[in-house]
Amino acid sequence: MAQSSQTKKRKGILGALVLVAGAIGLFWSLVVAPPDAYQGNVQRIMYLHLPSILTAYLSYFLVFVGSALYLWKREKRDDLLAHSAAEIGVLFTALTIIEGSIWGRPTWGVWWTWDARLTLTAILLLIYVGYLMLRSLIEDENRAASAAAVLGIIGFLDIPLIHMSVYWWRTLHQPPSILRPDKVPWENVHPSMLTALAISFAGFLLLYFYLLSLRYRLGEMREEIKARRLERGT
Amino acid sequence: MALLRETYLLLWKDLLLELRRRDSLLTMFFFGTLLLFVFHFSFDPAPEKVAAMAPALLWLAFLFTGTLGLAQLFHSERENHCLDALLLSPLDRGALFLAKSCFNLVLMVVVEIVVIPLFWILFNLSSWNLLPQLFLVTLLGTIGFCVLGTITSAITLRARARELLLPLVLFPLMIPVILATIRCMENVLRTGEFGDAIPWLRLLIGFDVIFLTVGVLIFDWVIES
Amino acid sequence: MGAWGFVSLAYGIVWGIILVYLVLLKRRYVNTAAELDALKSKEATRSDAKT
Repeated sequence: MAQSSQTKKRKGILGALVLVAGAIGLFWSLVVAPPDAYQGNVQRIMYLHLPSILTAYLSYFLVFVGSALYLWKREKRDDLLAHSAAEIGVLFTALTIIEGSIWGRPTWGVWWTWDARLTLTAILLLIYVGYLMLRSLIEDENRAASAAAVLGIIGFLDIPLIHMSVYWWRTLHQPPSILRPDKVPWENVHPSMLTALAISFAGFLLLYFYLLSLRYRLGEMREEIKARRLERGT
Repeated sequence: MALLRETYLLLWKDLLLELRRRDSLLTMFFFGTLLLFVFHFSFDPAPEKVAAMAPALLWLAFLFTGTLGLAQLFHSERENHCLDALLLSPLDRGALFLAKSCFNLVLMVVVEIVVIPLFWILFNLSSWNLLPQLFLVTLLGTIGFCVLGTITSAITLRARARELLLPLVLFPLMIPVILATIRCMENVLRTGEFGDAIPWLRLLIGFDVIFLTVGVLIFDWVIES
Repeated sequence: MGAWGFVSLAYGIVWGIILVYLVLLKRRYVNTAAELDALKSKEATRSDAKT
């Protein structure tokens, strides 16, 4: 099934919106919002970091939904959703780790630390990279889809447990530190900081759905190519 | 209940096969012991430090040994289209899941029962009185491993590079179990009782219950011909 | 490296990676679309030839 011109136009609008939101977000984050009272300008990385990880979580939720629907109804589009969401989720998770690392360097003096937030994000990355590898290593398309769907469900259900265990591990017997990139200093929050955060988050969401729709369409086209080839016997 | 009866039948079949040839059991046992030796040469820890490192070293050994068992979990179904036969039969797939999990659990427990005291002997530990509590924690952790491991083993059945993919997929998911068991064991070794580690124990039990249930429900879609 | 150095590093890397992914995705997209169109036109000519 071809893409209607209406869908194409909508995608164009979405793409334009992404650019607009990105520009406004950039301006607001870097210029309008004041520097943090404790961390100074470095704290501005939060306007990237927080939306990135939230978008990643949204993505993994979509993987879960797509996987569950696929196992239930066996409709290819649910599997496509899960696969696309996993790929983009991995992208945003990788970005989150990089942002967190760069934020940590001036704040803690190290590029990496096994604090709860970074560790959790790294584990998330491992799980969904595993998902993508599982898909690529199984020859049969349907088996790959089923196997990945099971993993998509199990992985998502495990996330709260992983959260709990890593946070307990990192906070038990450890005094809370004052300056932590994962702790937003809400006491000194200037309203324009919240605005910057909101705009950044909106921009990331738009970007996410734009990328997702592209990736999804790519999958749809691949499916159609396969179906047509099958019909013709090539 | 029919599910339990079917589980028992399938489990008995696997146990019988294993008793006759003992492939998996012996390889797992020797591998676990070998790892203890390798640890000694790699770490060469001072006697005071060994007790602190014991839970981590033991669990590393069990993780790798258990993965060996998982890789061979469905081997007996490979020949003569046994897997297809099982799937065609009216057996509940949940029973297959429970039976395979139990089977791997039995193998691992047998290995653990020998390897843990062996560790105590090889590394000259004296806290023999704490072994029952340590066994309990190990058992709970092993249940979690076997449950998730069986699901993972089944979904990677037809994948290329399966021996590498299985741990790659399984280990990140196992992190709550790894953290919980090792923290519990550390606490027991340090204070002689569970005490502060009770939340970890609860997490472990919760993990086991959740994925046992999920496994039984989801296994229909995991194994397909 | 000052504070703004780290901030620009972070923003730069993020936008850079997103751009790279977009480019790669677009490339895959265009190739696949071309393949699909090729198949469609082949089918059209086949059915024309039949009638």
